Amino acid sequence: MIFSLEWLRRYVPVEASVEELAARLTAAGLAVEGLQSRGEDTLLDVDVTTNRPDCMNHHGLARELSVLFDLPLASLDVSLEETGERAADLAEVEVEDPVDCPRYVARIVRGVKVGPSPEWLVERLESVGLRSINNVVDASNFVLWEMGQPTHAFDLERLAGAKVVVRRARPGERLVTLDGEARVLDPEALVIGDGEGVVGLAGVMGGLETEVTSATSDILIESAHFDPRVVRETANRLGMHTDASHRFERGADPGAAGTGADRVAKLIVELAGGSVLAGAIDVVNEKLDWGLAGRLDLARLDRFAGARYSDVAVERWLTGLGFGLEAAGPGVWTATVPTWRHYDFLPDPARPLESSQGPVFEADLFEEAMRIRGFDDIAADLPAISGPEAGSSAGHLRREEIRRHLAACGYMEAVSFAFHDRESEARRPALARVGDPLTLANPLSELYTVMRRSLLPGLESAVSFNQRRGAVAIRLFEIGHVFPGGDHPEVEAVAIVGGGSRGMPWDRRTPYDLFDLKGVVESLAEHFGAPFEVRPADLPGLVPGTGSELFTTGGRKLGHLGRLASDESPVPLFAAELSAELLTGTGVASVRVPSRHPGVEADLTLTHSNDVHWSEIERAVEERRSEYLVSFGLKDRYRGEGVPAGAVNTTVFFRYNAADRSLTQEEVNERHQALTRQLEGRFGWSEN
Amino acid sequence: MSTEESAGAGLDPSEQLRLFEAEAGGVADREAWEALRLRWIGRKQGVVRSLLGRLRELPPEERRDFGQGVNRLKEKVEARLVELDEELEAAERRRDRAEARVDVTLPGRRPHLGGIHPVNLVNRRIVEIFTGLGYSVAEGPEAEDDFHNFEALNFPPDHPARDTQDTFFLEDGRLLRTHTSPVQIRTMLARKPPIRVICPGRVYRHDNDLRHSPMFHQVEGLAVGEGITFGHLKGTLEAFIHELFTEDTGVRLRPSYFPFTEPSAEVDITCPFCGGDGCRVCSKTGWMEILGAGMVDPRVLRMCGIDPAVYSGFAFGLGIDRVAMIRYGIPNIRMLFENDERLLSQVRG
Repeated sequence: MIFSLEWLRRYVPVEASVEELAARLTAAGLAVEGLQSRGEDTLLDVDVTTNRPDCMNHHGLARELSVLFDLPLASLDVSLEETGERAADLAEVEVEDPVDCPRYVARIVRGVKVGPSPEWLVERLESVGLRSINNVVDASNFVLWEMGQPTHAFDLERLAGAKVVVRRARPGERLVTLDGEARVLDPEALVIGDGEGVVGLAGVMGGLETEVTSATSDILIESAHFDPRVVRETANRLGMHTDASHRFERGADPGAAGTGADRVAKLIVELAGGSVLAGAIDVVNEKLDWGLAGRLDLARLDRFAGARYSDVAVERWLTGLGFGLEAAGPGVWTATVPTWRHYDFLPDPARPLESSQGPVFEADLFEEAMRIRGFDDIAADLPAISGPEAGSSAGHLRREEIRRHLAACGYMEAVSFAFHDRESEARRPALARVGDPLTLANPLSELYTVMRRSLLPGLESAVSFNQRRGAVAIRLFEIGHVFPGGDHPEVEAVAIVGGGSRGMPWDRRTPYDLFDLKGVVESLAEHFGAPFEVRPADLPGLVPGTGSELFTTGGRKLGHLGRLASDESPVPLFAAELSAELLTGTGVASVRVPSRHPGVEADLTLTHSNDVHWSEIERAVEERRSEYLVSFGLKDRYRGEGVPAGAVNTTVFFRYNAADRSLTQEEVNERHQALTRQLEGRFGWSEN
Repeated sequence: MSTEESAGAGLDPSEQLRLFEAEAGGVADREAWEALRLRWIGRKQGVVRSLLGRLRELPPEERRDFGQGVNRLKEKVEARLVELDEELEAAERRRDRAEARVDVTLPGRRPHLGGIHPVNLVNRRIVEIFTGLGYSVAEGPEAEDDFHNFEALNFPPDHPARDTQDTFFLEDGRLLRTHTSPVQIRTMLARKPPIRVICPGRVYRHDNDLRHSPMFHQVEGLAVGEGITFGHLKGTLEAFIHELFTEDTGVRLRPSYFPFTEPSAEVDITCPFCGGDGCRVCSKTGWMEILGAGMVDPRVLRMCGIDPAVYSGFAFGLGIDRVAMIRYGIPNIRMLFENDERLLSQVRG
C-alpha cells in the first residue's frame, strides 16, 4: 500500500531520514518494501498486514510514527457550520439489518457546485494511485485515504423518496454499479436501497444511477459501518474488490462513521461550496458494544517476552496508540482497546467481562509493547522444557531408513506432484481404491484433477522426462502419500521403477530385468524384517505373466510388482509399489553366530518342467531341511542346448555346517544324496 | 628327445644324469617342466622307475652300487625340479608384474549409487537438529478439513487472511493442507503440555508460476509449556539457523501478522550468497526471509483446550524447498520436481 511522506507529515512532524523512518516502521511490523521519490515527495510502499486496517490510511500510519518517534499526532478537523435546515426533515434512513449494518450516518449538503478538484487534492490522490473524478467524489476518496473511513456520496434528487434503506437484495434485483457493470444480485447481498430499487452494494460500490454528476446540487453522504463478513461475501460473489471493501473486509473502525461523515461534509463545502444541513441522520444499533478491555500486567509481559519492560514506556506507547490505560496496581493496568483496533482484539470467549483478566487476551496487548520496542533487544535463550517428548518419530525414521536403503541400492529419489489427470490415475494398479478418486474442486488445469492413488504414474512422468533427455538406465523411487478415496485414510507408499542397462562397456555394463527389481524389494523387506509372499497375479497396466501381488506373513497386501505395459519407453520398465506402513516386522534381529568349523558346499542341478515354480522347490527343500543345512539358494538357471524343450535346468547350492565340529564329507554326502533323490523323484523331468 | 635315446644312454646313472641336465636346461615353461617331471620321476613310466625295474637284471654284486647310483640320480632330479619350479615361478611373477603395468589415470569404476531428493536431505538435516534439541516428529494427513487447517488456527470463516493461503479444495468439502500447522493442532488436541514437536510434510497452494509450485514442503515446530518466552523462540531459531547454515549467519526477527501467532515475526537471515553485503539474490538488502514464527495465539491454545493464562508456546515454520534451493544453488523451485537425474545425481551432503 502506497503512502505519501508529505501527506503523513501533515499529521506528525517527523523529521527523521526516510531510511530511518522505513527501518523503524519495519521493525514495528509495518514492513516498508519500497521507497520512491515523486517530486519533493517520497512514496513508501508499506506491507500492511490484514489485521491492521487502521493503518491502511495516512492518519493511522502517522499515529504509529508518532509513537515510534515520540511526537505529537494532529487530530482531524471535523468542525462544521450547519444551516438551520434539519437533515432529518429532508431524508430518511432505515436499517433493516442492524447486525450487519450496526451504524449508518447520513449527512446532507445542499447547493454544491460539482467541478474539478484543486491541484493539491489531485496531487494527493495521484500520489497514492487514484485518478481525480470531481471535487465531491475526490473528497470522499481523500477521506478514505486520510482516515480509513469509506464513504459514498449520492445525488439526493435521484434517491427515490429521498430515502435510504439498508437491506438484503430481493430475488432478481439488479444494479448497474459505478464501473458500468450490470450486476444480478444475490438475496444474501447487503444493499443500499432507495424508495424504489437498489442504489448501492453495501461497503463495496455505489450505483451508476445515483452517482454525483455535474448536474448534482444536493448530496447525501453515506458513512456507515458494515460487518466484515457480509461485505466480503458480497464482494467475493460478484468478483469485486474496491478500496472500500478492502477496508471493511478487514474491519473498519466502528467508531468512525460519525467523524467520517463530518470530515467529508467539511471538505465538500470547502471544495464545492454548499451548506451542511443541521444534524446527522444517525441510525445506531445500541445493543452492540464496541468497548473492549483487558488487564495488562507488566510482570506477566516480562515473563512472556523474556525481557524487562519499563512501565513509563509501556504507558506512553499504548496511550499513544489510542489505548485507554487505567492503573489497577503497581505495573498493572486495565487497558481499553481503541475502536479502530477492534477486530484485531477479538475477545476471549471463555472469560466473561467481569473476570479480572477482562475479555481481551493479554498476549494481544503484549504484542503492542513488544512490536513498538522491537524484537532486536530481546535476549535469545533456549527453553528448558521438562517432560517426555510429545510424539513418536517412528514414521519419520522408517521413511529415512527406506530412503537410505533404496539410495544405497542405486535408486534416485524423485518427488512428484500428488495430483494428476483421471486417465493417469486409473492406468496402474493401486494399493487401495475406494470408490472415486478424491477430486479437486478448483484444479490448476486438466492435468491435475484428481489425487493420486498410486505413485507409479508420477514416477513414469519422471521416467519419460529423463528418457527424453537421453537417460538409458532408469532407477527411481518415491515415497509419498496416496489417497485411496472417500474417507479412507491416506496410505504412505513406496514405489520403485527400473529398466535399461546401466554403464558403459568399461563399467562392465549390467543388464536389468524383473529380478533386479524384485531383489531390491526383497532386500528392503528383509531390512525391516518383514518377509512377504509372492502370488502371481494379472494386474491392470502390467504385462501379463509378469505381475504379482505381495502379501505379508499376516496376509495383508503389501504391494505389487511387475513389468509396466508401456508403449512409450524404449526399454522394458519394471516397477513395484509397497505400503510403507507394512514394512514393519521383527525389527532388530539377534545374529546367528557363524560356526568356527569349516563347512561343506554341494550343488544340485535339477532338470524339471517349466511349469514347476521355484517356490515349490524351495518349499520342498524347507520341508526336508536337515540339521546341518545352513543355507541354500538358486545358483543358476539354464535353458538351451542339452535341456529338453519345455524343461529348464535349475542349479541349487547348499551349504552344510555344524556349530560344534567339522562335518565329514560322508555325513554331508549322505544327507545331500537323500535330498537329491527326493527332489529328483518329485520334480525331475521325464519325457512323458 | 625320445625314449630310445635315453634308453641308449644305458644303465649308467651318471650318464642319465647328464642327459637329464641337458633336458632340464631346455625347460622354459610349466608344460615342459611337467613333461620333464613325468619322464624322469613319473610313477609309471619315469626313467628312475624303469632303471630301478632293471635292478633284478643285474648281477647281485653290482646291484648295490647301481641302486645307490639310481637313488642319487633321483635325488638330483628332484632337487633340480624344485629349483626349476622356483625359477619358473619367479619368471611368472616377473611376467605378471610386467603385465600389471596400467594407465593409472583411467577412470575408476564407480558403484552405482542412488540418492535422496534434495528437499528430503534438507528435511533430514532439520529433523536431526531439532531431535537433538529434544523435539520429536509429528505427522498428519495432507487432505485436511477446514477446522484443522483454518478455524482452529484462528482463521475465521470468510476472513481475508484466508486469501493469502490460495487453497486447493476437494469436492468432498475438505481441502489440501496449505501448511503443516494442522499437525500442530492435532498434536495439541491429543496431548497435554509440555509439547515439543516438529511437523515436516508436503503442503499445497493454488499457485503455479516461475517462483511457485502448487506442491512444496514445510517444517513447522511447536513448543508449549509453562514459562515459554519470546526469548526462547529467538534462541531456538538462532540455534537452528546456526546449525543449518553457518555459525556466523545473522538472524533478524521483524514483527508481522499470522492469525495463529501473537506476536508474529518474519525471520530473516543474512543473505547466504553475499554474507549480508547485498547482492542480486537478496535484492541488495543483505537479508533473506526464510521463516515465519511467533508465540502461539491464545485463541489457538484455547481452541485446543490449553489455558493461555497458564501455558504459553511458540511456533515457527519454514519452506524446505527454499532452503534446498539456497543450499544446492538450484535456481528455480520447479526444477525440484522435474526429477531430472542429471541434476539430482549432483546433490549430496
